[in-house]
Amino acid sequence: MKFNSWYLSSFIVSFVVAIPILTVFASFFQETTNYYDILKNTFLIEYIYNSLTLLIGVLILTLVLGVGCAYVVSFYDFPGVKFFKWALILSFAVPAYIYAYSLTAFFENFGTLYSILKSLFGSGEYNQSIPKFDGMLGAILSVSFSLFGYVYVLTRASFHYQSQNLIELGQNLGFTKYKSFFKIILPSARPAIVAGLALVAMETLSDFGAVSFFGIATLTTGIYDSWISFDDLAFANQLSFFLLLFILGLFFIENISRKRAQYHSPIKGGIKEKKKIKLNFSKGTLAFVFCFLVFFISFLFPVLQMLYWTIIFPKNLFDLNTFQLFSNTIYLVFLSSIVLVVFSFISNYGNRVTKSKFLNFLTTFSITGYAIPGVILAVAFITFIAWFDNTFVKAFEFNSIKKIFIGSVFGLVIVYFIRFYSLAYNGLKTGYERINRSIDESSYLLGYSKIKTFLGIHVPYLKNSVFLIGILITIEVIKELPITLILRPFNFETFATTAYIFASQDLLEAAAVPSLFLILIASTFILITSKFILKD
Amino acid sequence: MRKLTIISLFFALISSFTIAAEVNIFSARHYDSDIQLYEKFTAATGIKVNVVSGKDKALQKRITEEGADCVGDLYITADAGRLGAFAAKGMMQNAGWSKAIKDAVPAQFRSAKWTGIAKRARIIYYSPERVSANELNGMTYEGLADPKWKGRLVIRKSNNIYNQSLVASLVKNRGKTTTANWAKGVVANMARTPKGNDRAQIMAVAAGEADIAVANTYYHALMLSGKKGAEQQEAAKKVKPFFPNQQDRGTHINISGAGMLKHAPNKANAVKLVEFLLSTEAQNHIVNNTFEYPMIAGVTPNDLVPGKEMNFVMDTKTSVKSYGAKQADALEVMLAAGWK
Repeated sequence: MKFNSWYLSSFIVSFVVAIPILTVFASFFQETTNYYDILKNTFLIEYIYNSLTLLIGVLILTLVLGVGCAYVVSFYDFPGVKFFKWALILSFAVPAYIYAYSLTAFFENFGTLYSILKSLFGSGEYNQSIPKFDGMLGAILSVSFSLFGYVYVLTRASFHYQSQNLIELGQNLGFTKYKSFFKIILPSARPAIVAGLALVAMETLSDFGAVSFFGIATLTTGIYDSWISFDDLAFANQLSFFLLLFILGLFFIENISRKRAQYHSPIKGGIKEKKKIKLNFSKGTLAFVFCFLVFFISFLFPVLQMLYWTIIFPKNLFDLNTFQLFSNTIYLVFLSSIVLVVFSFISNYGNRVTKSKFLNFLTTFSITGYAIPGVILAVAFITFIAWFDNTFVKAFEFNSIKKIFIGSVFGLVIVYFIRFYSLAYNGLKTGYERINRSIDESSYLLGYSKIKTFLGIHVPYLKNSVFLIGILITIEVIKELPITLILRPFNFETFATTAYIFASQDLLEAAAVPSLFLILIASTFILITSKFILKD
Repeated sequence: MRKLTIISLFFALISSFTIAAEVNIFSARHYDSDIQLYEKFTAATGIKVNVVSGKDKALQKRITEEGADCVGDLYITADAGRLGAFAAKGMMQNAGWSKAIKDAVPAQFRSAKWTGIAKRARIIYYSPERVSANELNGMTYEGLADPKWKGRLVIRKSNNIYNQSLVASLVKNRGKTTTANWAKGVVANMARTPKGNDRAQIMAVAAGEADIAVANTYYHALMLSGKKGAEQQEAAKKVKPFFPNQQDRGTHINISGAGMLKHAPNKANAVKLVEFLLSTEAQNHIVNNTFEYPMIAGVTPNDLVPGKEMNFVMDTKTSVKSYGAKQADALEVMLAAGWK
C-alpha cells in the first residue's frame, strides 16, 4: 500500500464529515417516552405539508426570478444591463432571516410602510389596507429572495456558454422569440436550472432562522423542537428520516443534472460570441424595470430598512461593540477557510492518487453533510461528542474531551468544516478535473514525489479555485447562524448571532446594526469574486 | 506537517485559562441592560461575568449534554415554567440561597434551586373604542373562552412559553378537563391564526384587527417609551390594560429568574451575583430598562408600565413552581384544541 498516508487522511476527513449523518441514524434505536403520541401523526402531516408548501413556493419563485433575470441579462442589451449582471448576485449577501426581519418591520401594523404613508398622506387607518407578508407567505418570500441567486448564476453561466447557433437555428426555423425561448433556450439550459433549483431546495429545507421567525413548523423546526424541546428522539428521527429522504432525492437530482450539464457545454471549438439583441425603448424599459425590481426587492429593500432603523435609533450603532464582532467574525472566517481548503485538498488528492472505489463512495456520502440543516448538525455534534466522551474517554479514565469540542472555537470550526466541506471539496474537484492526469504521470517520471507533485504542481495550478472557494466559504460563514449560536464559547458573538439574539428579544431595530454590517461585509466579498462567480 | 501545525495551533487557541474570580452564565435573557448590570457587578466585586446567550432550549440541550463538564453556574431565563421544567430534569442543584436572598424574594417566587429576579404580569389589552367597561366587568382568564369574544381575540401561539405558563396555572386551578374545554373556546374566539410576539398582539388591537389581546405588561411600556418609534408609541395609546381575575385568585404573575446549575464550579460567586441582582441598585436598573416589576420591596416600577401602583390583586396562591409542573398538560390541551 504505497498510498497509505494519503488514503488514511482522506478517509479520516470523510469520516469526520459523515459523523452527524451517522449520529442521526444511530439514534434511531433509542427509545423515549413522551406525552403527545396521539397528536404525532397530525404533526407529521403538518410538518410535511408545510415543508412541501414552502419548497414549492420557493422553487416557483426562484425559477421565475432566477431564469428571468439570467435570460434578460444574457440575451439582451438595455440600459444598466452591465450593472445588473453583477448587482443581482448581491442578494447572496442577505441571509433569509435578515430578509424576514426587514419584511416584518416594513409591513407590520404601525411598521415602516405605515410611517411612510402617514408622512405622505397624514394620519389614517392604513394598517387594515397594508398587506401582511408574514407566516408562510413571508417565509416563501424571504427564502426565495435570498436564494434565487443560485438559479440566476447557474442559468446565466449556461446561457453564456450556449451556442449562438441554437438561437440562430430558432430564427432560421422562423420561431418567434417566445417560441425560441421555450423550445430551444430553456431546454438546453435545463440541467443548469435544475442544478440551481436543487441547491435552492436543499437550502430551503434546511432553513431555520426565517422559518422559525415566522413560526412555520417545517420538518427542520419539527426535528429541532422534538429533539431539543421534548427530548423525543424517536419522533425527531422519524422526521429526520423524511427530511433526509427529501434531501437525498434532491442531492441525486442535482448530481445527475450537474453531470448532464457538462455534456451541454461546448467542449471543443469554443463558442461563438453572442451578439446581444438591442431592445427598443419600451422593451428596454420593461427589462430594466424587471431587473431593477428584483435587485431592489432582493437587496436594496432589506438594506434600506436596516439603514432606516439605524438612522432612527442611532444609539444602537454606538452601543454595539462593532470591532469585537468584526474580529470574531473574521477570526472564524479565517480559520475555517484555511482548514476547509487544506483538508479538501488532501482529500481530493487522496481520491485522485488512490483511485479507491470505497473512498470515493465515502466521500460522496460524506458531502451530503451540506444538505443537513446546520441546526441539526450542531445538535448531532454535541450528542456525538457527549456519547463518545461517556463511552470511550471516560472508560479509559482520561480527562473529559467535551470542553475541547463544545463551546470552543475549535468545535465551531469542526462543525463549519462538516457543513461547508462539500462546497470546498466540490469546488476543488471541478478545478482538479481540469488538470490532466498525464501531468501527474509526467511529474512522477521527472522524479517528483507525490508530495512534491501536490505542492509544486497542483497547488499553484489551482490558485484561482482556492481563492474563489476561500471567499465562498467566507460568505457562508459570515451568514451562518444556528451552528454558531449553539456551539460558540462564552462571551463570543458574531454579527449573525447578535442580530438573531436582538431579534428574538423583540428588538428588531437593534438587530438592524449587526445585520447591516453583515450584509456590507458579505457584499464586499461577493464583489471581489463577482468576476469568478459570473464566469463559472 | 502543515496539518500538525494547524492542529497544534488550534489546541493552543482553545485552551482557556481559568481566572480565580468568575461566574459563568447561560442566559436566555439577552438585554443590553443585563450586560451593563454584569459590568457593574464586576466593578464592585472583581468577579468576572462570562456569558453565553441563546435560545432556551438550545442552551438547555448544551448544558445537559456537557453534563459534569459544564462550567455554567447560573441559568438565567424569563419564565418560571422554564426554570421549573429544567430543574425537574435534574439539571439544577440546591443553590444555598443566602438569607439576604430569602428575605428579599417572597417564597412563592423561588425554590431551593432557582429564584425570581423580576416579575411580570400576563394581562388583557383592549380597545376602549370597541370594548365597553360593562363587557369587561369581572373579566377573567376563564372568560376568554366566552362566546361573546368570538372573532375578537388575539393571542400568541401555543408554543410560546408565556402562554404555556398561563394555561398551566389554569390547569392547576381548574383541572385538565375544564382547561381543555376552555382552550377550545379560546381557539373558537380567535380573530386570526396566532402569529407574532406579544407586541404584535397589542398592535393588532390598536390596528383594529381584534378587540382584545393577551400580552405581558412590559411590552406595553416598551411601546409607550418610544423605544419602538413614534408610531408604536401612538399605537400603544390606543389600547388599555386590564387586569383579569381581580375578584378571585388574582392576575397571573410570572418571573424572570436564575437557577443554580447542577455542576456549577463557582457557586459562591453565583450566589453573590444573584444577591447583587436583587439589590436596590440593580432592581432599579431592571425596572427602568426592561419594564418588569421589581422582585424586592421598596423599588417602584417604571412610570409607563401598566399597574405601576402595584395595587392590583396578584395571583399569589398559584405558586410559580406549578408552571413547570403543569407545562406538559398545558401544551397538550392547547394542541388538542387546535391552538396553532
